[in-house]
Amino acid sequence: MFRNSARAWLAANVPGGAAPFDGAEGRAFALAWQKKQAEGGWAGLAWPRDVGGRGLSVLEQIVWFEEYARAGAPSSLSAMFVALNHAGPTLFACGTPEQKAFHLPRILNGEAIWCQGFSEPGAGSDLAAIRTRGRVDGDDLVIDGHKIWSSFADMADYQELLVRSDPDARTGAALTWVICPMDAPGITIRPIRTIAGPNKFCEVFYDDVRIPLTNVVGGLNNGWATAMSTLAFERGTASLGLMIALTLQVDAMLDDCPSSRALMLGRLALLSAEGAAIQAMAYRVALDAEQSVPDASASLVRLAFAEFGKKVQAAAIDLYGVQSPKVLGTHGLGHDYLDAFSETIAGGTAEIQRNIIGERVLGLPKGPR
Amino acid sequence: MNFSLTDDQASVMSGLDQLLGQTGENGLQHAVTHVYSAGLDAALAEAGFLDIAREDGFGPLDAALVVERVAREMQVVEVGVSALIAPLLPVDVGIRPIALLSGDAGGAARFLPMAKLLVVDRGDHALLLPVDPDTVVPVETLLAYPFGRLSEVDLDSGTRFDDIAGVRRRWRIALAAEAAGCMAAALAAIIDHVTSRFAFGRPLGSFQAIHHRLAMAAETAESTRWLALRAAWSDDDGDAALAAGFAQSRIAGFTYDLHQFAGAMGLTLEFPLHLWTYRLRALASDLGGASLQARALADAVWGEAA
Repeated sequence: MFRNSARAWLAANVPGGAAPFDGAEGRAFALAWQKKQAEGGWAGLAWPRDVGGRGLSVLEQIVWFEEYARAGAPSSLSAMFVALNHAGPTLFACGTPEQKAFHLPRILNGEAIWCQGFSEPGAGSDLAAIRTRGRVDGDDLVIDGHKIWSSFADMADYQELLVRSDPDARTGAALTWVICPMDAPGITIRPIRTIAGPNKFCEVFYDDVRIPLTNVVGGLNNGWATAMSTLAFERGTASLGLMIALTLQVDAMLDDCPSSRALMLGRLALLSAEGAAIQAMAYRVALDAEQSVPDASASLVRLAFAEFGKKVQAAAIDLYGVQSPKVLGTHGLGHDYLDAFSETIAGGTAEIQRNIIGERVLGLPKGPR
Repeated sequence: MNFSLTDDQASVMSGLDQLLGQTGENGLQHAVTHVYSAGLDAALAEAGFLDIAREDGFGPLDAALVVERVAREMQVVEVGVSALIAPLLPVDVGIRPIALLSGDAGGAARFLPMAKLLVVDRGDHALLLPVDPDTVVPVETLLAYPFGRLSEVDLDSGTRFDDIAGVRRRWRIALAAEAAGCMAAALAAIIDHVTSRFAFGRPLGSFQAIHHRLAMAAETAESTRWLALRAAWSDDDGDAALAAGFAQSRIAGFTYDLHQFAGAMGLTLEFPLHLWTYRLRALASDLGGASLQARALADAVWGEAA
């Protein structure tokens, strides 16, 4: 019943054609698709009911993602990703009633785009090294510094910004998580062209940017704990749609592969097996996490999924050939291949995931940092 | 077995280094998908480096050395076909750049927007088609080379060339030599990066996870180079298929590791790594990719029954 209604709604509403990546067109597309899902009752499926979500079970979310991928719906790695999967969950875990009332409906209804302001030129995997300052001055936090790799910052309304508010304290008590309006005076945004084509990344400079202290989420100097609170929401379901889409892509590649290409058929068959294994692992981790606090085993899924994505896109180009119209062009498989490079870097590198698996899943002794 | 350059080869490579140093990369804009350099192309042609295989006392090995060295540059120019395949063809010296295609003559080919000649692998023969620039449509792509396709294909205007095995053999040698040059340059760029960039208070390159995989990347780059040079020296079908297939089979892992260690920087056009890895990606699919080179190798070594 649930599957049928999801399938029917998606069949009638999934937009045709390639989603635009950049600028005003990209922003309008991302907001319109979110708005359409909200109007159809398909927004915030994993969000709790008391903040406007549907509070669906993990099993129902899995069904939704299966149907979403089969329908060829727009990638969930869109300009709405941070709002739906990071900022929103952080706000409903740690935000004030006013912050929740103002921001959460705007996210769900496709009225606001968020970006992340965590990484800095000298602080990527090593997030504790961030230097962007947040100085309390009267009722404001005054921001000076520089963030980088902030996806979609050039089209965002708000940023989840992590700053060093106490320069002398240890990291756990030195950071503040604050809602930064992207139109605040003193902000300069420089889009960065990526190897996959679009200007998804941005560099953001803050020069005496004043943000009201009422925008602080989770308390001053408590930003580390606030940032970590997102993890309590994450059940490994955020990438399920992408994972399922990849397995469907492998199925299509098997259909397209001529029987004379025995080695390629074997490679695709092994990819199909690998995809099935990761999908099973992802379902298991997501369903287990519903009953308890999520543990580090989600890193197994994240690592396997990221590596799998790269292998699938490399095989796709080898199957169709670099001269194929499917590969060339800015929306072709050439783009997907290059875009997959980011899978093992963004949101925690594969090396960090391996450290987590070694130390927290397998219980191995910590290596030197 | 002698792995050292002869005096003549050393002299040629020294001259090439000097020319490449003069054409230079000063002010080169990295934040683009590729940099085709008509100036470098003209300088290489004028100095005779692209015709070296036709000179007395020189041959495909010397041409492969030139291809490998030029491929280390950030700029891209058509060298492999001119230096290694053109000497086999019944065309006048200087009819270049040359584009290559297999199968459909209307497909997208590297360097077609500036090519004078298109060589099409038609299965049992090659077809040499003069290129009318008015019929070339540029093709938008991220994959490092200027690509184009013919809007009209007049197969009757072409010249049939029967030594298709020779074309493929030299194509594979050129591919392997160009891949070796791209790998060497990309590896040097990333070693610079992980030596000077710090995380957790240490240079990135000091972490074993990075250390070990870069050691393996060095093995890939070195192996590709020596296999390419051996194939050029022997000019043998099996050696050529082996060199190309080895390079192609390693490219995906090699480029992923290098981009991984450049972190988010390596995902942008502002870090020059893509100028080589884009090219490697395109080379990885040439002539059907590694699986078809493996098949060609088996055919060359064990015959068609393999």
